[in-house]
Amino acid sequence: MNSLLLLIPLSILILVGAGVALFWAIDRGQFDDLETPALLPVLDADDPPEERP
Amino acid sequence: MPPSSRPGCTPRRAPRDDVNTACWHCGGPLPPDPPQANVAGARHSVCCNGCRSVAEWIAELGLADYYRVRTGSAAQGPDPLESAENAAAFLRPELSRHLVSTVADGKSEATVLVDGMHCTACCWLIERTLGQLPGVVDVGVNAGARRARVVFDANVLPLARIVEALGRVGYRALPLDRAALDDTRRRETRAAQKRLAVAGFGAMQAMMYASALWFGAFDGADAATRDFFRWLTLLATTPVVFYSAGPFFAGAFRLLKVRRLGMDVPVALAVGLIYAGGVIEIFTGGPDIWLESVSMFIFFLCIGRYLEMRARHHAGDMTDALARLTPVFAERIEPDGTLLRVGAFELVPGDRVVVADGGSVPADGVLETAECRVDEALLCGESTPRRKRRGEALCAGSIVAGAPATMRVTRVGADTVVAGIVALTTRAASSKPRLARSGERAAAGLVARVLVLAACTAIGWAIVDPSRALAATVAVLVVVCPCAFALAAPAAVTRALAVLTGRGVLVVRPDALEDLAAVTHVLFDKTGTLTEPAIAHDRTIARQGIDCDAALAIAAALAQGARHPLARAFVAAAPTALPAVGARESVAGRGIGGAVGGRRYRLGRADYALELERHPSSLEHAVVLADDDGVVAAFHVDERLRPGARAAVDALVRAGISVAIASGDTGTRVEAVAQRLGVAAWRARQSPADKLALLASLRAQGARVAVVGDGVNDAPMLASADVAVAVGSAADAAQAASDIVITGPLDALAEARAIAHQTLSILRQNRRWALCYNTATVPLAALGLVAPWLAAIGMSASSLAVVLNALRIGRISRKREASGMSTADEAIERRRAPA
Repeated sequence: MNSLLLLIPLSILILVGAGVALFWAIDRGQFDDLETPALLPVLDADDPPEERP
Repeated sequence: MPPSSRPGCTPRRAPRDDVNTACWHCGGPLPPDPPQANVAGARHSVCCNGCRSVAEWIAELGLADYYRVRTGSAAQGPDPLESAENAAAFLRPELSRHLVSTVADGKSEATVLVDGMHCTACCWLIERTLGQLPGVVDVGVNAGARRARVVFDANVLPLARIVEALGRVGYRALPLDRAALDDTRRRETRAAQKRLAVAGFGAMQAMMYASALWFGAFDGADAATRDFFRWLTLLATTPVVFYSAGPFFAGAFRLLKVRRLGMDVPVALAVGLIYAGGVIEIFTGGPDIWLESVSMFIFFLCIGRYLEMRARHHAGDMTDALARLTPVFAERIEPDGTLLRVGAFELVPGDRVVVADGGSVPADGVLETAECRVDEALLCGESTPRRKRRGEALCAGSIVAGAPATMRVTRVGADTVVAGIVALTTRAASSKPRLARSGERAAAGLVARVLVLAACTAIGWAIVDPSRALAATVAVLVVVCPCAFALAAPAAVTRALAVLTGRGVLVVRPDALEDLAAVTHVLFDKTGTLTEPAIAHDRTIARQGIDCDAALAIAAALAQGARHPLARAFVAAAPTALPAVGARESVAGRGIGGAVGGRRYRLGRADYALELERHPSSLEHAVVLADDDGVVAAFHVDERLRPGARAAVDALVRAGISVAIASGDTGTRVEAVAQRLGVAAWRARQSPADKLALLASLRAQGARVAVVGDGVNDAPMLASADVAVAVGSAADAAQAASDIVITGPLDALAEARAIAHQTLSILRQNRRWALCYNTATVPLAALGLVAPWLAAIGMSASSLAVVLNALRIGRISRKREASGMSTADEAIERRRAPA
């Protein structure tokens, strides 16, 4: 049970860290546009897909 | 910039190879001896040198893949000269101050509207192009909003270079006011995302700790470990309740302060109850806490609210499109007579500006040039340019054609007509229609019942089994929360308005949607609505000794300023120089008069012009210009049907609606039009009073009548109709008594009716669904069979189902359009089938 006393605070620290990172990313506008980035990797491939008919 | 590449133009299909007769870059028609672009070793025909330089430059950058992946043609290559001028304008410090904001470590950030962006490949091209510039730190392109956000080092790279680079690949950068950027929208999105993140993290942690408690991992362990985990759960839940659920508490508080009940009240009550109960249990060592459930509950609510917000913002994009009509640059005439390219926001009333041939008018103003032709298609759907004379008003957003024009600015920014239209649509979208209000009232009644029911549940369980009282009460509060019910109307109406705006139908009064669906009769005005008049030059007959053109000039001078479409036709047909007019008079529905060169003239139907009781039969179809000695000239008016008129009438008749025409025009003329449209019911020679009487008699028979007019001449009839539809100039209609304004082709009316119908049926579906869901789940919850977290999922899912159902509006009708069949069509087909 003693391992819990170490691991749980550690998990909380990691969680808080993740939360801070996410807030930072949101404030930097990473999530402002959720549509465009999803399309871009398709075009970055070396062999782009055929033009749509 | 050529008008062909304005935003909103339909992208042409990309040519597959240069065997095509279209330009390889922009898809435009090729000149007889086209320039050749040398791309990746192959030669392709292009339409102009602008396109050639763009295509070659794209290849030079190693970005020729663009041509393989794009789904729409590019905008035509810019005129090199104009492109340079555009970039130079960005050098102005006023503009830079307005556009560029400084972000951390000396970097600058600017967001520009990118004109000519059609597809994802454009996005990619812009990102690559700008990313290759030295000094650019970050580029973000939003395809939906056509915006590019650039972070750059202003010391290395001036903004003008970025604009220039965009210009070289064929896109025009337009400055976006830093303050006008959708700041509130962005703040809202970000706040919602943060709340969602906190709720997600908190709920996951709380569930983790709670599952350890549930599955009895500590059955053998001491109470201290159990309490430790309970405290951890509290720790994870507290930020979720106080941060993520903040808006619900704030909303409930606002509602209670004005003594009303709304959605937020039971939600806040449930959250508060569970949280307080949980804290008390922890302190007293009670058997059960529900903290993990409440965090899950809030997480699901946040997801629902977030999706709803995104749908709402998407609707907002439509009004953005209207705001884009105004140009951002103006050529101001400086006191010393030179021209200076300035941002349109720098203009003040009294400034004089020059609008180039093909350029957009930057602000409302008065024409100073003797005359020009103005295309107001964007404002009023009228595709033929209208002739304007010195002193006439020009509206921001219209396009000058033929020759450059000088104008004096009278109104800028928010005071312009186009801004008024934008404000009007925004107001319509935000004002609560009757449908939404009735939904809200019903929901408030439901909330009251929910609260009573929850209290009953609490008392009941307190008697039977006090340990389960809290859970059951909370489950009832959550499961019966009529969120879906309250969302039903706003979701459907918002979606319908957005769809209609996108198809050229502005709904000014949202209630009109409901009325339109119930319409049984449509009454059309003829002139200016179904038809566009044009003066037939070759059939003009003038009195001996008077030149036809001179007569036309007098008629046009009388007609100038009048808003009847026929009057406009005279002005459009007349020669440039018009004589001055004094002592004007006008008799609605009959004609206009005035003094020209000391003589009194009257223009209108023969009985008015000649002051007769009866029509002389020879002049029955003519518009007569007469003075005190008799007829000066008789004009014949040709009429052509407005685009979409036939389609609109056909679609309405197919949908089972009685279509009638009431016009002030002569019988043969109205009959001709009625025959061409296939309308059996028509009335000619109707004065405004006759039309009103006709309308009243129809309504007395129980008909619900939509009146379609041009919004100006038939104002009284429009005002007393069930639904007033104004066609054409939205600028005029903004002041008129219209409920719905159709800016595009007339057939949008039938489509609008179909969408209104669909909206109502989806609304009914939504309400029925919400009611079924609530009545089915209440007994279960009251009996304690539903855990609060499950109730939360159920509630969120039902709300989501309502919103998703609302998003079907417009989609179905588009599919039907594609197959060329309406519901009525299908019904007819079915009926025919057995025979």
